[in-house]
Amino acid sequence: MTRRAGAGPRTGAGGWRIGALLFPALLGLTVFILGPALVSAFAAGTDKTLTGPSFHWVGTANLREAFGDPDFGRSVRNTLLYCVLTVIPAVVVGLALALAAQKVTRGSGALRLALFLPVSANLVAIAVVFAYMFDPSGHGLANTVIGWFGAGPRNWLGDEATSLPVVALVGGWRLTSFVFVVYLAGLTTIPASVYEAAEVDGIRGFARLRHVTLPLLAPTTIFLAVFTTILTLQTFETVAVLTHGGPFRSSATIVYYIYEVGFTGSFRIGYASAIALLLILGIVLIGVLGSVLGRRARARAARVESDGADAGVDGAAGAALVGLGVAGAAAPATEAAR
Amino acid sequence: MSQSPLSQPPLSQPPTNEPAVSEPAMTEPAMTEPAMTEPVRGEPRADSPVPAPPTGRHAHRAARTGGPNSGRFAGLAGRAAVLTVGVFFALLPFVWMVRTAFGPSQSALALSSNPIPESISFDAFTRAFRDGHLGRALLTGIVVSLAILLLQLLTAIPAAYVFAWLPFRGRGVVFGLVLATLLVPSQVTAIPNYVTISALGLSNTRVGLVLPFMTSAASIFLLRQYMTTIPVSVLEAARMDGLGLVRTLRTIVVPLSMPAIATVSVFSFLLSFNEYLWPLLEARSPEIATPPLALATLVASPPSGLPDFAELSAGALIISLPTLVVFLIAQRRLTAGLTGTGAGG
Repeated sequence: MTRRAGAGPRTGAGGWRIGALLFPALLGLTVFILGPALVSAFAAGTDKTLTGPSFHWVGTANLREAFGDPDFGRSVRNTLLYCVLTVIPAVVVGLALALAAQKVTRGSGALRLALFLPVSANLVAIAVVFAYMFDPSGHGLANTVIGWFGAGPRNWLGDEATSLPVVALVGGWRLTSFVFVVYLAGLTTIPASVYEAAEVDGIRGFARLRHVTLPLLAPTTIFLAVFTTILTLQTFETVAVLTHGGPFRSSATIVYYIYEVGFTGSFRIGYASAIALLLILGIVLIGVLGSVLGRRARARAARVESDGADAGVDGAAGAALVGLGVAGAAAPATEAAR
Repeated sequence: MSQSPLSQPPLSQPPTNEPAVSEPAMTEPAMTEPAMTEPVRGEPRADSPVPAPPTGRHAHRAARTGGPNSGRFAGLAGRAAVLTVGVFFALLPFVWMVRTAFGPSQSALALSSNPIPESISFDAFTRAFRDGHLGRALLTGIVVSLAILLLQLLTAIPAAYVFAWLPFRGRGVVFGLVLATLLVPSQVTAIPNYVTISALGLSNTRVGLVLPFMTSAASIFLLRQYMTTIPVSVLEAARMDGLGLVRTLRTIVVPLSMPAIATVSVFSFLLSFNEYLWPLLEARSPEIATPPLALATLVASPPSGLPDFAELSAGALIISLPTLVVFLIAQRRLTAGLTGTGAGG
């Protein structure tokens, strides 16, 4: 590491010390994330298979194959439908729950715990329970419930029409809890003074929700929309346990297809990498779009809030943190920091 | 490492967007603050049909005990309805899991959706432990997750300190690269990592399950954000006392960052314990199957041919317990932080 006059370390020793402190983390990130990402990008242009001897460059053949591959097309359509079926309900319901839970004083601990639980759930374990609730026999829970309304039993997971929605229900159930956690954290960053000012101006109820709360939450909302979309684009576990992508590929998502191509059958790592590359491109695009929208929303929120000092901070810090499934972590850290 | 004061790089105020001190009375709020609080504390306002409540909290209490304002009451009822439905659906799968696990054996031939099981037994748990080798899987899962956690803390804490307090040329770029790794989906790295681990001869070992997760950009970021809030005077004092980098880190920075370290640890454990894709690729022999993998195997190949949902639910409950326990222990401080009562440190 080089030294910068004045600002940098005063001794050479300080320089290598910094290097030593950083080295383990940078090694891990380089070897297991950045490196693989680059290798993957390279492999996308080869016909590498797991057992195949070497990387043989085939140019854009894999990408061209992907665009003509009906199974890939199907997985993209399934994934997009899955996103719509999970993200929109999760954000709406999660927001409603957070707004409702915000003011509860008595028993709030138990209430929050109950609503947080799905976040901590093991997806494989939950998938098992949902498979049981949606059992095709007439005595399964779902079939019993629709039986009350006179409908005959359905083969939920074995039917092309319902397999994906049921898988999306499992994902959406967990995602809603996640959204709730993040919104609850977002609500605590709105200063009480803003509400007091609204009260003085006679703004209450739905008017306050529309003109005060929602604009101030807009950065959180945009972050959540973008992040949960990115998260659901990578759906894998629920599909792998509940349906194996079936029946007739009706519930195969992009990542499940990558798994099938790269790790089963003929282990076509090159082709799997090409599809993964397309997925990353999509994710980066959404991420960029999100950060542009997020910046605008934060600017607007700062104008709504009279002393707009902290809204943006929590938006930014919370966003990146929560991004990794460390949802609750963001809030305690930034809160305790005050 | 020597502990001469000179070996310690100078401290810098981190270039962060964190507010230095978020005191309300910094700029304009000095003007707006009294205007906002006075009428609320004072007597009822003339333009308001209802007496202005003293504070938000009291207002809420009034509405709760059935105040005269029917709009508020409707809002309260709506809230209660939303929460009731939300809690019902949040808990339903867990309740169903428990109810099935303690009930009699349930294959597709003899299914029941009676909310109260016909008989109570622990039989399903015994069978799940035996058929799914869940005891072994739990041990593997806990050991692997703790090893990952330890490695992540050892790598992330020093790195976070550098990114928070020790500037060097190009730090912004390096930090940007660290954050960029957050954009890479784990399925993309899985393929090359599989090759790397095989090349290292660690394929199908516990070390192979741990190594790819040895560090976490998320943990680095979270710890760094927290460490930037350590008062510069504390670190200056440490430097005056001649503490070297490593000792400053160990005796000052780590103890002061404990809340963030605890949070990072909880989430790291939850994520590692629930990880599915990587063990699915890496743990080929059943001896080192992690809990989700063991359960998935039990689902895919039930010993009696037909899936027994009592046994599977018991298995699901068993593998959920460690994370549930961790979550229950942690949730108090997590929710305390979320609601702001944890603030003020």
